Amino acid sequence: MKTKIIMLLPFVAVLGACSAIDNLKEKFTTNNGKVVVEDRGTGEVDAVDMEQANFKWQGGERSINASGMSREEVEKALTTLTANDGKLVVYFDYDAAAVSQEVSQEITKHVDFMQSNPKIRLRLEGHADERGTREYNLALGENRALSIKEALGVALEDRIEVVSYGEEKPQGSDYAKNRRVEFIYK
Amino acid sequence: MTLTTLQKTYLLVLMLGMSAMTQAVLEVTIVKKDENAFPIAISPFKLLGNKAQDKDIAKIIHDNLERSGRFNALVPSTVVEKFDPQYWKAQNIEALVTGTITQQSDGTYQLSVRLFDVYSNAELLTRSTQLKGNAFRKVAHQLSDTIYEALLGENGSFNTLLTYITVKENTKGVKQYRLNIADSDAKNAKSRIKSSSPILSPVWSPERRYKDKKIAYVSFQNGHSEVFIWYPFLRKKLEKLPRFDGIASSPSWHPNGKSLVLTLSKGGNKDIYAYDLATKELKRLTKHKAIDTEASYSPDGKKLVFTSSRSGQAQIYIKNLETGRINRVTFTGGYNAKSVFSPDGKYLALVHRIDSDYRIAILDIQHKELSMMSDGRLDESPHFSPNGDMIIFSGRRNGKGVLSVVSVQGNRAYELSEYNGEVREPNWSNNLEN
Repeated sequence: MKTKIIMLLPFVAVLGACSAIDNLKEKFTTNNGKVVVEDRGTGEVDAVDMEQANFKWQGGERSINASGMSREEVEKALTTLTANDGKLVVYFDYDAAAVSQEVSQEITKHVDFMQSNPKIRLRLEGHADERGTREYNLALGENRALSIKEALGVALEDRIEVVSYGEEKPQGSDYAKNRRVEFIYK
Repeated sequence: MTLTTLQKTYLLVLMLGMSAMTQAVLEVTIVKKDENAFPIAISPFKLLGNKAQDKDIAKIIHDNLERSGRFNALVPSTVVEKFDPQYWKAQNIEALVTGTITQQSDGTYQLSVRLFDVYSNAELLTRSTQLKGNAFRKVAHQLSDTIYEALLGENGSFNTLLTYITVKENTKGVKQYRLNIADSDAKNAKSRIKSSSPILSPVWSPERRYKDKKIAYVSFQNGHSEVFIWYPFLRKKLEKLPRFDGIASSPSWHPNGKSLVLTLSKGGNKDIYAYDLATKELKRLTKHKAIDTEASYSPDGKKLVFTSSRSGQAQIYIKNLETGRINRVTFTGGYNAKSVFSPDGKYLALVHRIDSDYRIAILDIQHKELSMMSDGRLDESPHFSPNGDMIIFSGRRNGKGVLSVVSVQGNRAYELSEYNGEVREPNWSNNLEN
């Protein structure tokens, strides 16, 4: 056990942001690494629809819980944002995750919106255009979503979830429209 | 009518074969061949015994040799019973392959193959092997490697496997992603993993035995990027790596097959880690606030090549795992990414941006020379063939994803395409055990 803790020490620095030692212990010492799942194929050439495969998570689930608001309540709240000309998609420059002046102004509207709707939660989906490699774009998409999260401020941090789809979900063939972060309220 | 067990087996094989046709079967198009391709004839195999079946063994060998671009192969319409060098000389054929398949009383087959050199009038090799009815394809690939090596003095890459992603829209217009495997000739395709969420980055583990073979890949089936490991030859075995904090992506195997490197985004910072499957230990290999991703080991496992944006642009770096030193290796162009080592460790294949196009290039590591290998606009995912002779990558043709395979010398090429969908992210396994 002792050796394990020593081995884990370097990660404390790495994980500065989520720091809790308990969290670390749970993630690295419970030895719950592998999840073996039976697929449900019926034969050699049968495909299994992975959406239906049942995985049990044992590690710390970091996705943000649903807000408890119904879809209708969220939609209704959103009308105040859109009435204020708030955008649910913001765009970025090529190979960049920096928040532009224009996007900064959008961010202010979203901060106000989240403050006046204290129950609402946000999923930020980062995307990239299809140029360049898929894995790099996955990283780039996450950086874009993280930039927005940072710009929204520490106070809202616990209500925000960040994901990246890289170049996997383009909006169309216009590269500029694909380098984006989508605000998904729930 | 009652069927014997053997007949039932044949029927089953036939039915499986037919349903496999509805799977992602790729079409092979030979684009370019070597001008000095080696002229060879492969006789249809002679069948002895009632139920002996050719199983197209001569055709598989023919197609393999043709596809390599290094042979002009033909299959005569009838079985060649006797080697007549004068006849083949007149046909400008330089080598001849003949074979017999004899069914044994126990239902297995005896296969004998001979390779003749027309000009020296010599028998270059004979092979004899006993096999079961379901092993014909594998044996045909092994024989292709043997013939290739006997005539060219180099290893073939036929007894190998491909993995790739296909994407098709279903009738409701929803994209369906599939993770596929196939023999090196794109035949015998199987896809047992499908999802309406993106699947990407499949990569074969290095083991040579079928049952040890694994594919690491990334799936978004749970709404974010996660790394999975599929054992395609162990029924129903699929593992998910533990939930690391942040996104997990870009897996690649250590040459020992026991651990892999991947990109983890801990606290938002994307760095490269090694994960040991048995001990479940995670080891950090890079630490930089910029993006570090797309890591891949050198064949001896002593170096790691990866993409980093630490200079402000995506460039390729090599980490010496013995000294810990990291060196930048690409200095030409504003975007170089997704690099892999050649099997001899001397070259890197990578994605290089030139003007506004993304193309495949090879970097001679020692001499720092970059050579362009492709002329597409969005080419990506390069990998070397196991013998290092060719590079497979994905690109776009008429708005559709296709796989291209080009020789390192640039004199040979073929394409693999999907009839009504797109195919991408190819990865080529090393040679399987014989």
